[in-house]
Amino acid sequence: MVFNEKIVNPTELKHWEGKIELYWVYTSGNAGDEFFKALKEDKFIAAKCKKCGMVYFPPRIYCEYDFSETEYVEVSGEGSIRAFTVARLDKNEEPLEKPEIYAIIDLDGTDGCILHLLDEVKPEDVYIGMRVKPVLKAKDAREGKITDILYFKPT
Amino acid sequence: MSVGKKDITCPPEAIGTPVKDSDLKEGKVTYVEDHPDIRYAWTAGQAISRFLKELKNGKLIATKCNSCRRVMFPPRMFCELCFKPIDDWVYVQDTGTVQTFSISYIDPDAKPLPEPIIVAVIAVDGASPKMGIMHILDEVKPEDVYIGMKVKAVWKDEEEREGAITDIKYWKPVG
Repeated sequence: MVFNEKIVNPTELKHWEGKIELYWVYTSGNAGDEFFKALKEDKFIAAKCKKCGMVYFPPRIYCEYDFSETEYVEVSGEGSIRAFTVARLDKNEEPLEKPEIYAIIDLDGTDGCILHLLDEVKPEDVYIGMRVKPVLKAKDAREGKITDILYFKPT
Repeated sequence: MSVGKKDITCPPEAIGTPVKDSDLKEGKVTYVEDHPDIRYAWTAGQAISRFLKELKNGKLIATKCNSCRRVMFPPRMFCELCFKPIDDWVYVQDTGTVQTFSISYIDPDAKPLPEPIIVAVIAVDGASPKMGIMHILDEVKPEDVYIGMKVKAVWKDEEEREGAITDIKYWKPVG
């Protein structure tokens, strides 16, 4: 019977190790570029459709509903929480020292929203509709990424 | 949303904004980049572990099912037709027949190769018909390969073998 000949020493069982090479660059695009460059100057940019008046955030170069051009408008960056979740594990499922709060924030004066971190607030004190404002990195440390906004905090 | 004719102000062909490599390096445009570390380990299992061990000895091994009398190559522990454990291990020859082949002019990164490589499925002699492995052919021009061509394995030197499928360097035509 062949099963008597089974390999019982696990070190004799072979395995194959491999690595998948993957490298990517994702550019922000025309409107995204405008947004991040304005963020370096402490400004929040949204895009308003010239025809229907819809205000897009993050900004777009054209309106998704009637394909017309948009113009950039400045908004305050403050907003209210639409939804939130509390993460107690990191991406490798290791417990976090301090829970992280992720929220979808409806920005004032726009029809759009942003997904970002909340801080300077306890998880149990967060509620839907809470007013928040952004906290930015030091001006010379900003590099044109979404992490230039450190987190949002209650006003 | 209504469907039909619309007053579209955008040109029918929107012109993109070209970005040069230098624009990224000089920080003219904003971007994010990542190089994720994706690793995997594939366990060979009982049958393939034995197969790889035999490759080190310069031999090809298959398994046999006494119900359907098939000699299965590459070896496996269960007969997938009879749903029963295999009955025996048998050695097969290092010669075979080309079942199908493909000529590749690019490497896995889609870069052009200086010489094309020929990838083929080879049914080995001694195993049941159409039982075979995928490997590369050499010492033959791409235009001379045909289905049904008899080939033979070219092995690495004994001291260089490590129990991997690459212990066979390539297969070459017989005669």
